[in-house]
Amino acid sequence: MLLEARGIIMAFGAFRAVDGADLDVAEGEIIGLIGPNGAGKSTFFNCLAGDAQPTAGTIRFRGQDVTRATPEAHARLGMARSFQVPVTFEDMTVAQNVMVGAFLRHGHRAAARRVADEVLAFTGLDQLADTPARSLGTPGRKRLEIARALATEPQLLLLDEALAGLTPAEVRLAIALVRRIKARGITIVIVEHIMEVILSLAERAVVFHQGKVIAAGAPRAVVDDPAVVTAYLGHHMKRVRRGGVG
Amino acid sequence: MKQWPLVLLGFVAIAAWPLLTDDVFLQRLGALVLLAAISASAWNLIGGYAGQVSIGHSVYFGAGAYASLVLYTQLGWPPIAGAPVGMLVAMALAAVVGTPTFRLRGHYFSMATIAAAELARILVANWKLLGAAVGLMGPPVPRSVVDLSFISPVPYHYLFLAVLVVLLGLTWQMQRSRMGYYLAAIRGGDRAARSLGVPVLRYKLYALLLSAAFTSLAGSLYVVMVGFIDPDSALGILISVKMVIVAALGGSGTLFGPLIGAIILVPLEETTNAVFGGSGTGVTYIVYGAIIVLIARFRPGGVADLWRSITVRMARRAA
Amino acid sequence: MILLQVVVSGLLMGAVYALFSSGLTLIWGMMNVVNFAHGDFVMLAMYAAFFAFTLLHLGPAFFIPGAAAVLFVLGVVVYLGLVRHVARGPMLAQILGTFGLALVLRYAAFWAFTANFVSLPDNLVGGTFDIGGLRIEASRLLGGVLALAITLGMHLVLTRTMLGSRILAVAEDRNAAMLMGIRPDRMQALAWGVGAASTGVAGALIAMFFYISPTVGESLSLIAFVVVCLGGFGSVPGALVAGLGIGVIEALSAYLIGAVYQDVVVYALFLLVLWVRPQGLMGTA
Ligand SMILES: Nc1ncnc2c1ncn2[C@@H]1O[C@H](COP(=O)(O)OP(=O)(O)O)[C@@H](O)[C@H]1O
Ligand SMILES: [Mg+2]
Repeated sequence: MLLEARGIIMAFGAFRAVDGADLDVAEGEIIGLIGPNGAGKSTFFNCLAGDAQPTAGTIRFRGQDVTRATPEAHARLGMARSFQVPVTFEDMTVAQNVMVGAFLRHGHRAAARRVADEVLAFTGLDQLADTPARSLGTPGRKRLEIARALATEPQLLLLDEALAGLTPAEVRLAIALVRRIKARGITIVIVEHIMEVILSLAERAVVFHQGKVIAAGAPRAVVDDPAVVTAYLGHHMKRVRRGGVG
Repeated sequence: MKQWPLVLLGFVAIAAWPLLTDDVFLQRLGALVLLAAISASAWNLIGGYAGQVSIGHSVYFGAGAYASLVLYTQLGWPPIAGAPVGMLVAMALAAVVGTPTFRLRGHYFSMATIAAAELARILVANWKLLGAAVGLMGPPVPRSVVDLSFISPVPYHYLFLAVLVVLLGLTWQMQRSRMGYYLAAIRGGDRAARSLGVPVLRYKLYALLLSAAFTSLAGSLYVVMVGFIDPDSALGILISVKMVIVAALGGSGTLFGPLIGAIILVPLEETTNAVFGGSGTGVTYIVYGAIIVLIARFRPGGVADLWRSITVRMARRAA
Repeated sequence: MILLQVVVSGLLMGAVYALFSSGLTLIWGMMNVVNFAHGDFVMLAMYAAFFAFTLLHLGPAFFIPGAAAVLFVLGVVVYLGLVRHVARGPMLAQILGTFGLALVLRYAAFWAFTANFVSLPDNLVGGTFDIGGLRIEASRLLGGVLALAITLGMHLVLTRTMLGSRILAVAEDRNAAMLMGIRPDRMQALAWGVGAASTGVAGALIAMFFYISPTVGESLSLIAFVVVCLGGFGSVPGALVAGLGIGVIEALSAYLIGAVYQDVVVYALFLLVLWVRPQGLMGTA
């Protein structure tokens, strides 16, 4: 297993945002992590990436215990991520943003620039290389975050709602990009709301609800699972009743 | 960099400055501009490039100033010989104070630096060995040339220019290297930087050590030229403020921002001092304060940013 | 007995610290923005009280509310003219904005009023009480008690009134408050007004028993930071407890190791707290 997370609990006070979740990721697969808003997916990602220390549980990545390791140690070991709300380096150009990632494995500027150029071309950002990151819109930022993560030459990529807020055309481009990333031999765990995306991309789906994994398996089967339907429907009903806010 | 000819021209002008005038006030002004540019450029490493807004850099300035004069009063060393000692002391202080302080973000970091600097000022003001509230004097008459005690400001001008060139050269190298990119990433956001493998605390510390060392050197150079310090002139909050404002006015986090800021502000300060006499300090800081407020409100990027947007606009018009 | 005397005078001073620190914690909790000029606001209020008395011959009953009103207006103006614009900008702008303001106020006072210390006459609020051997100046007692009452009043207004709950709603979640029809900008302007008014009252109270100088604001700013940080960012009751505590610690250190070191103790405590618990001593998040 590339990544093994066992019994992860993340408590904020008395509230458990993640409540005993397990996840196994095998090399080369694409896993779709789904679940209603507030299910604890982002918090779980934070635990996996070392951004938050879980209250309990263990995480092993490439055979090493990384439960208490820092985010930078995770990056060095080959785990990269994007954030649900993109955090780009606003003062830098797109290419410079990507170079920050590339510097992880290449100490020299010229080498880092070469890696960055390759990644920019790969992600279709090469036209924007010299524009300031602050002038990008949300789709551009999401793509830049992926490019930056790729420049660290990871084995595992965690994508947190990397497709949210994109137009259908942009979603199609993004799906193609994720497929190409997989073709490079990079394992991917992707959090996504849009069922169609999970159905077309993921080889395995894992469903989160109230901090727990309530279903896992082939995407088609998982989507038809009564427990999942109830969790989602219950949530959608609530959203409808609240007037669509949230 | 298409601006190299301009930069070269600028440095030639600065180098020629003391030769163009016989007026001691103007010659002295040149040296003071360079000194302010050195300390603001040193601040810029941590405050500008890494985005950690220290308002307590007087601690490092004071470390250099006091090291130079304590070693003179106690052991008879020429003041400049205390400079390396001051740099070591400043780096030690940076490591001890900086490491826990770096965990603080934004405002919290700035407040902690103010408190640390005030703490240092009060302690020194009550410390006999360091001259307490009265301060310390350098050699009243030069014992030899190594005391670097000259009547003319011109030798200082070239000494300071040499140090500034070294510092800016180092900064330029840094800016282009991994460290430059990492500091910019840290300024952009700790969390994202760490997710890309940037060891945030370590790089903040590198930047602070370098910054503290050069700020301390500026303190030593100051006493070499002025020959006297007391807690206010070496450790007062205004010393820290001046570094911040000089850098911010010119453009914090840019190579030449601090130098540009010094070229604008120091003549302003010296002129108000000359015009208003004793009460000039007050007026100077009203003006300083107003400038900072205006920068913060309208142009957080400083003059460098203004320049960039003007050149961009001109290029667009030409095209 | 002397120790008790020291503790009581520390508590009375601490109540005033609590008052102006409550103003800072309100602003801070609401916008996550620090007012580096907070102590200088207090300084201005001290001068306002001084000149109200010496030039206009107004007594405390007039100059205390007067200083509060003047500072309220200043707070709102500073918010509308400066803070509102820098609050969303880069960190450097946020810090430099109010820091520059502090410099302007401090050195404008220096220029206008000179560096000389001035003070209101001792007998403004008559004499000294003797309570079971404890000697307490009436002005300090009045200052302490009034400050305590106003701080508690502020807490009650925040927690028990509609207006207070609106302010707290904005502090809690700006967007949610907007959905509830609250206009955050107005509430924030109001918070700045109230925060500054608290320095107005505090300054007028301190002026009755403390020397007045242009640079007094610098150490008062630091004291407000310490109190807010100890009491938890955004908590008025926290500021009250911490203010009283700092007053006592300061008085005790002045008495036990000497007046010049009282600030040293307070600042060192501040650094220690920031280093050990960056979220503040009583804070949770
Ligand atoms: N730092 C935090 N403190 C308290 N509660 C949090 C914190 N972070 C997340 N939560 C809560 O944990 C729950 C899960 O959030 P999140 O992981 O973002 O869900 P998802 O990504 O699945 O939408 C939410 O109810 C959220 O309010
Ligand atoms: Mg999420």
